[in-house]
Amino acid sequence: MKIVGRHDEAPGVKTLRLEFQNPDDHEEFKNTFRTGMFGLYGVYGEGESTFCVASPETRKEYIECTFRQSGRVTSALANADIGDLITFRGPYGNRFPTENFQGKNLLFVSGGIALPPTRSVIWSCLDQREKFGTVTIVYGARTVADLVYKHELEEWQNRDDVDLVLTVDPGGESPDWTHKIGFVPTVLEDAAPSPENCIAVICGPPIMIKFTLISLKKLGFDETNVYTTLENRMKCGVGKCGRCNVGSVYVCKEGPVFTAAEVSCMPAADL
Amino acid sequence: MTKILFSDKLDNCVTRWQAAGFTVIGPVTKETLSSYAAVEHASDFDLGIVLPDRSLKELFFPQTEPMLRYTIKQQAINTEDFTPPSGKRLIIGGRPCDAAGLSIDDPLFGWDYKDKYWFQRRNESVIVTIACTKADDFCLCTSLKLAPDSTNGSDILLRPLENNSGWEVEELTDRGREAFLAIAELLLEASEPTAPMAVVPEMFDLDTCVAWLQNPENFESKFWKDISMRCIGCGSCTYLCPTCHCFDIQDEGDTYSGIRRKNWDSCSFALFTMHTSGHNPRSTQSARWRQRIMHKFNYFPGKFNVNSCSGCGRCSRQCPVDMGITETLQKISTLHS
Repeated sequence: MKIVGRHDEAPGVKTLRLEFQNPDDHEEFKNTFRTGMFGLYGVYGEGESTFCVASPETRKEYIECTFRQSGRVTSALANADIGDLITFRGPYGNRFPTENFQGKNLLFVSGGIALPPTRSVIWSCLDQREKFGTVTIVYGARTVADLVYKHELEEWQNRDDVDLVLTVDPGGESPDWTHKIGFVPTVLEDAAPSPENCIAVICGPPIMIKFTLISLKKLGFDETNVYTTLENRMKCGVGKCGRCNVGSVYVCKEGPVFTAAEVSCMPAADL
Repeated sequence: MTKILFSDKLDNCVTRWQAAGFTVIGPVTKETLSSYAAVEHASDFDLGIVLPDRSLKELFFPQTEPMLRYTIKQQAINTEDFTPPSGKRLIIGGRPCDAAGLSIDDPLFGWDYKDKYWFQRRNESVIVTIACTKADDFCLCTSLKLAPDSTNGSDILLRPLENNSGWEVEELTDRGREAFLAIAELLLEASEPTAPMAVVPEMFDLDTCVAWLQNPENFESKFWKDISMRCIGCGSCTYLCPTCHCFDIQDEGDTYSGIRRKNWDSCSFALFTMHTSGHNPRSTQSARWRQRIMHKFNYFPGKFNVNSCSGCGRCSRQCPVDMGITETLQKISTLHS
């Protein structure tokens, strides 16, 4: 795939926009991709890394991925330039059942570099805004600089039909920060969204997911209305290489999207 | 009257099979290490050992295997898929546990994406197994509901004769029958008593163990820590195991050309599951050993209806710190669910 766009989101975090080189591959992607699915992005000579498809199912002309530069593959991807070719395998895995979200209020809760998978669902819904009820987004990062998709946060902030709650961890605020200061689960509890007719989509580091699930329970959310996406180290993406399972569940095949009810059946110690 | 293959005809058989286009493979000992390897003559076989140190797995799923070659020139990426070297193979002298190991992994390599490397080799190989008349203290096939003369995964089963002069031939599949047509005239119709099978005592009650493993309360039992305290995470058990199938994918080369390889990996290694962020879902050796046991006797059978263990005992036999599946399941079978 060809890199056609490249954007710095936060220190060490980049978004690449990719276009298919082969029309047949693109056609197949258009027919199979739904929000929540993931792919393996690769640079020959370095290897492959697994990230979600960060672009929505309503925009299939390209693929966007957002990643933090930290290892061999992500460094090669971060150093790649517009016009360079990289590889993509996928889309793999299951998806968020957005058709079941129609007519419901939507709550998105996300932390740090985990906004990309949530963003794919957010835009998939905002692109057909009339089909959904209220949209609330709670997003936090360690510091102001670490917030990703800053231009889109601004866009959501300015929309009348989106309620955006931003927060940074205590100590991560800048002098001109006017939003919340606190950890995501606490800020979520303060915002107290109603569980009535509401679907929650949460994604974040394991520790945030753990405490956000507790907060949502306190707020009265039913576990079957709470969706999350798990990400584990993967190599094959097709249920063979043996590393992504949590208990008996293969994240690459049966996930990455699970309801909180499904997650609660998994061995917590393995998450 | 049954078909008998006398051992003095074995060398003739090897020649016939080679003439029929087969690469003939069997247990071979080189210096102190035994494995399944190609032979020229029947005298190269080492049929006296209980079972080779290394399992049959590597003939179907090699320790390292090229998947594709890439070349990058002037903004164009060219890739060329590797196909495994093709050719008919006849593997004789494999043990029933090793043959069973192959059929255990078939559904794993076949679900969703069909692994062409595995299945090409499976389709091109005839497995001629020799039933076991001797076992050692580590053998545990009977504990896994298999036996020294199990036929799972075999195309032909040879039962040693009592007087040790040859084998009774049991043809199990068309593929086996076809391969044995090449040596039809070397087989004799006779009625010879076969040797008694090896006695492999049952080490634990598998159903009791599985029930304990399936109880979610036992996932965080202190037992896991105690049993795996001395595991050094070397990965020998997984590499020698006839059914362990976990792998890594790595590129070997530079920006312009190279090879993408599939390499054996092991759930014993900390890096196996470690996230880029440093978070590791299986951060301790006890979590990794628990994963291995759970995978073999709870998760894998849940998906594919068969235990991911054929009872060869290599994990215990070769473990540098004397651990293994036998000890773990023996102890589990004494715990109350």
